[in-house]
Amino acid sequence: MLHRGQPGLGENDDMVAQSKARHMESMALNSVFDHFRQQIDDSNDRRERLIKTSRDVTNISKKAIFLLHRIILEDTDDDRGLRAAKKGRAKLAEVYPLFRSMRAELVGERFWQHQRQVSPGLQEFIEALSFAHYLEHNTLISFSETQTALCDEDGPFFPLTVSDYLLGLSDLTGELMRFAISNISRRGGRTTANEVCTFVRNCKADFELFTPQVRDLGKKQAVTGSSLEKIEAAAYAVMLRGSEFDLPPEILEDLVQQTTTRFSTGERDPDNPLY
Amino acid sequence: MDAANIDVLNSLLEKDSNVGEKIREQVKELDKKVRLIVGILGKIHSTPLNSMQPLVATVDPVLLSCHEHIAAIANAIPPDQYWRWKDMWSNDIRSLVFAVALMEYFKTRSLISLEKSAELLGIQDEWKDRIILPVEDYLLGLINMVNELSRFAVNAVTLGDFEEPMRISTFVKDIFSGFTMLNLKNDLLRRKFDTLKYDLKKIEEVVYDVSLRKLVPTDKV
Repeated sequence: MLHRGQPGLGENDDMVAQSKARHMESMALNSVFDHFRQQIDDSNDRRERLIKTSRDVTNISKKAIFLLHRIILEDTDDDRGLRAAKKGRAKLAEVYPLFRSMRAELVGERFWQHQRQVSPGLQEFIEALSFAHYLEHNTLISFSETQTALCDEDGPFFPLTVSDYLLGLSDLTGELMRFAISNISRRGGRTTANEVCTFVRNCKADFELFTPQVRDLGKKQAVTGSSLEKIEAAAYAVMLRGSEFDLPPEILEDLVQQTTTRFSTGERDPDNPLY
Repeated sequence: MDAANIDVLNSLLEKDSNVGEKIREQVKELDKKVRLIVGILGKIHSTPLNSMQPLVATVDPVLLSCHEHIAAIANAIPPDQYWRWKDMWSNDIRSLVFAVALMEYFKTRSLISLEKSAELLGIQDEWKDRIILPVEDYLLGLINMVNELSRFAVNAVTLGDFEEPMRISTFVKDIFSGFTMLNLKNDLLRRKFDTLKYDLKKIEEVVYDVSLRKLVPTDKV
């Protein structure tokens, strides 16, 4: 083999054999690359399928969130939180067939190979799930409760990462802000707003512990911070007017409405027309 | 958030950061060795072909000493989590593929297979749930090699070797035609693949220059 590297040693027979060998080599090479193509195509196709499914999961989860907002703002005297949670979970159940279809794609090492495609939908799902949970229990859904929600009779659909859990919860604070502010002009709305305010403040403090280890959580903390400020500003406005003037509740509510309108014309979140 | 939940999260995160720490230690050492190997192989451009084997042989012990780090990385990765951590060292893996592919070229004038690359890197088959040589990294290593060979074609001529560019030309054309069989999406592999045509052009120019001046026997072109 080595002598080929040195000029002048090529005998004629050797040359013919060499060119034959070359031909064989390029044929073999083509079949190897053929195999690579299949492998690359398989993984790209799987990736595309997961992106689509994840998008569908996001879609259903967003609808569930709208539904929760709608029910909780209805004018009824029953336990709206419980009813909203039930209806919301029923809507979210539409996600399960999608999760089941993802399970087959995410067996073994493939979960981590495609984790980035799974995350967006999953985080939106966790946001919706945690919102329903909050409306029913007034608490933050725990990691293990979230894990349980990501299972069926055959076990978990795929592993739940701390990062998806925390990033999903971080988005919950935005929904709570919307809930608190749109609810504030209603009967009992001010108490709710104050509760939500304390809750979000605690969330922000808790999440802060994890920001060094969870990528992107820092950015979301900033958003949580501004949601918190919006609730605080609304609560402040209510408090101030309420204490300085002995106004009838209707006028008070008008004042609050003005504050909230000003907020909603400020930074608009294009993903959330509700806001 | 209640304390129990915080504990659960903290213990999970701590496990992850321990894994990351262990891998980081190994990657740091691996990185040094890979740089050493790439440095040695940089000398091919000033080495005549008859001294190439001794030069290439000096890489072997360093390459072997990389095995312990790769084994330690495999050991640190929890089952099925290869893809989660691979970004920490995939640059080193690509450089190592580059090295073994280039060495194989000088030894046998043929393209190293993915399986043989994995073997030379010390990646064992029974670790496949923790560490593998993915097709992408192997292909990126090959592209590095082609980039290097296009420079080598020029420098071989400088050293008075007029036949080497011919051999490189056939070899690289085969690889290029292999790459054209792939459906690449817009990612790193695609961008790197796009550089291959410039290498091909550069090599063709050398072949052209050399044959025009009748510096090689015509039957070799």
